Amino acid sequence: MSEQRTLLCDTAEAVFAEAATEGMAPIEAAGFGQLLVHEGDGGFGGDWGDAFAVLRLAGAKVPHLPVGELIVGGEISRPIGAFIRVAQAAGAMDAALAMSIDYVNTRQQFGKPLGKFQAVQQVLAIFATEAAAVNVAGAAAAAALDRAGGDADAALFEIASAKLRTNKAIGQATSIAHQVHGAIGFTREYDLHKLTGLLLDWRSDHGNDAWWADVLGGMTAKLGAAGLWHEVTRRADPL
Amino acid sequence: MPFPLRKPSHILVYILLTCREIGCLRRFATWTFKAMWHLSASRLAGMAMAMQQSFTVYPFDPPGDVAALRAEIRAFLAQHEAKLGVPNCWVVGDPEFSRALGAAGFLGMILPQEVGGHARHPLERYVVIEELLAAGAPVGAHWIADRQTAPLILRYGSDEAKERYLPGICRGEIYTCIGLSEPGAGSDLAAVRTSARHTAEGWRISGQKIWTSGAHMSHVMLALVRSEEGSERNAGLSQFLIPMDAPGITIRPIIDMGGDHHFNEVFFDDVLLPEWAMVGTRGQGWAQATAELALERSGPERYLSSHVLMTALIDAAGPDPEPQIRGLIGELTAELWTLRQMSMSTAAKLAAGEDPMVEASMVKDLGNSFEQALPQRVQALVDCPSTRDDDLARLMRALLIAAPSFSLRGGTREIIRGIIARGLGLR
Repeated sequence: MSEQRTLLCDTAEAVFAEAATEGMAPIEAAGFGQLLVHEGDGGFGGDWGDAFAVLRLAGAKVPHLPVGELIVGGEISRPIGAFIRVAQAAGAMDAALAMSIDYVNTRQQFGKPLGKFQAVQQVLAIFATEAAAVNVAGAAAAAALDRAGGDADAALFEIASAKLRTNKAIGQATSIAHQVHGAIGFTREYDLHKLTGLLLDWRSDHGNDAWWADVLGGMTAKLGAAGLWHEVTRRADPL
Repeated sequence: MPFPLRKPSHILVYILLTCREIGCLRRFATWTFKAMWHLSASRLAGMAMAMQQSFTVYPFDPPGDVAALRAEIRAFLAQHEAKLGVPNCWVVGDPEFSRALGAAGFLGMILPQEVGGHARHPLERYVVIEELLAAGAPVGAHWIADRQTAPLILRYGSDEAKERYLPGICRGEIYTCIGLSEPGAGSDLAAVRTSARHTAEGWRISGQKIWTSGAHMSHVMLALVRSEEGSERNAGLSQFLIPMDAPGITIRPIIDMGGDHHFNEVFFDDVLLPEWAMVGTRGQGWAQATAELALERSGPERYLSSHVLMTALIDAAGPDPEPQIRGLIGELTAELWTLRQMSMSTAAKLAAGEDPMVEASMVKDLGNSFEQALPQRVQALVDCPSTRDDDLARLMRALLIAAPSFSLRGGTREIIRGIIARGLGLR
């Protein structure tokens, strides 16, 4: 990550800490609505990779706030909406994973932390891998948007792939998060539902599994067998 | 204002938020925000991002003209079209194909020219091998030599070993196998008992390896053996290059459930090796062998073994498939694309000289699950009675039978997930 983006994320984290109790006002005031606006227009001149990084943090720290909608502004198209949800899900999933790891390393049963049991270790490895897949897919979709100059239709292949993969991961990750937390994770008082509840909502937002599978399946079928591999490589190779 | 001024940037955020409170223009807030980048870049160097990340993305950026390199390897593949489309192709050996690849400069790509290599970047090699795998090329003969034995010999081997083996590997004429598993040492690799005894004439190897893929096609084995008598577990192990035609070696085939001969038992009866056959430092075999596993586990072969079935499915479905098939193709595309991004990022991290043990394990586990499930997902949707005999049905059947091995070879799923769990801080 570039130093600039590290700094941007650090700032976002500080602002989101305040926004967690105060709502959107600090985020709006800090100028996040200008993130994608060109420098020449008095904006921030950030790219979609920056937006992904900020939204990832938003998904972890302020998942209930419409930060993506603020950053993109105006009417949100389905592909861009899907991208926002992927980015938020990447952060929320990593946050739920961190909570789960912390919980199993603390909670003791049978005289040792839950995290020492292989059955628990194995499912958390699956969780981490699913979270990793979402993070990588989201970052690659952001790169595709940057390459396409923000034209979501030109980046539809990557956005469709990322949203579909994310939807699949949400199903697995939320169930594992709750399973390893036991009953406490099912309470109103404990914060896990603030992440998992929204993750499950996001799975439906801007296209569920069937919708994106149909879009992407249609694109791939038209490309044909050899065309798929050529397209997958061409779209990611350096220009 | 209750704002924690812990980091340099927080001071700037404080200024920014104060501006807001005294009613400054949003424009000014934006300006302040922007200024933070320029002001603090150097002070913030090395400051880690506070939030945990499950996977660090490394940009895949090979040097040189990638499009030209792809065109080159695709042209080569087009000339050998009759040999392509092999399922699980990286265990299927074809020495003629390997020699042709070597002659065209696609083997030993990352080795220096002095030993017959081509001094290319590891990510250039990645481009070539993913093309070979996606096409289902029979790369099994040279695969292990090119992927891990040659880099290991280059790094740790004696001058004699380099001279003897590396040029032949680059020509696609010398093949290698890996001697790790033994009857009593499967997932528990540190239990190896095959021994190397130092004598006046050289090293004497005795014992047995098992599940050795390609031993019957290989010229030399890179084996992990116990060189220090009485040593326990992962201490006292060393790596040796063992010529497969040395007196005292017996190779016995093990036929797999598909009727194919890929792996073997190999017996060593007091096999004599010269001093230079030891690789690297005596007693450091464990560290060398586990470092080698990062090369073995992170590659695109961990998600592309069934790719020819995916292409056959797309071919059979045509440009406008029925909704269920279209949905399956969509799901497979999303998973393939994501795995490729993860694999490329891991390769880039490895090429940058870092140790991507956890990322490599994630790619292997997720990739194996994907390529393993693929034939069953096709079977569930496409009507393929056992009498059907077109490409799709034939590939599906072959992969249904081969797939159980995908999450066993190169470290079982359970071992791999244990490595990921350790990376998460759970063990």
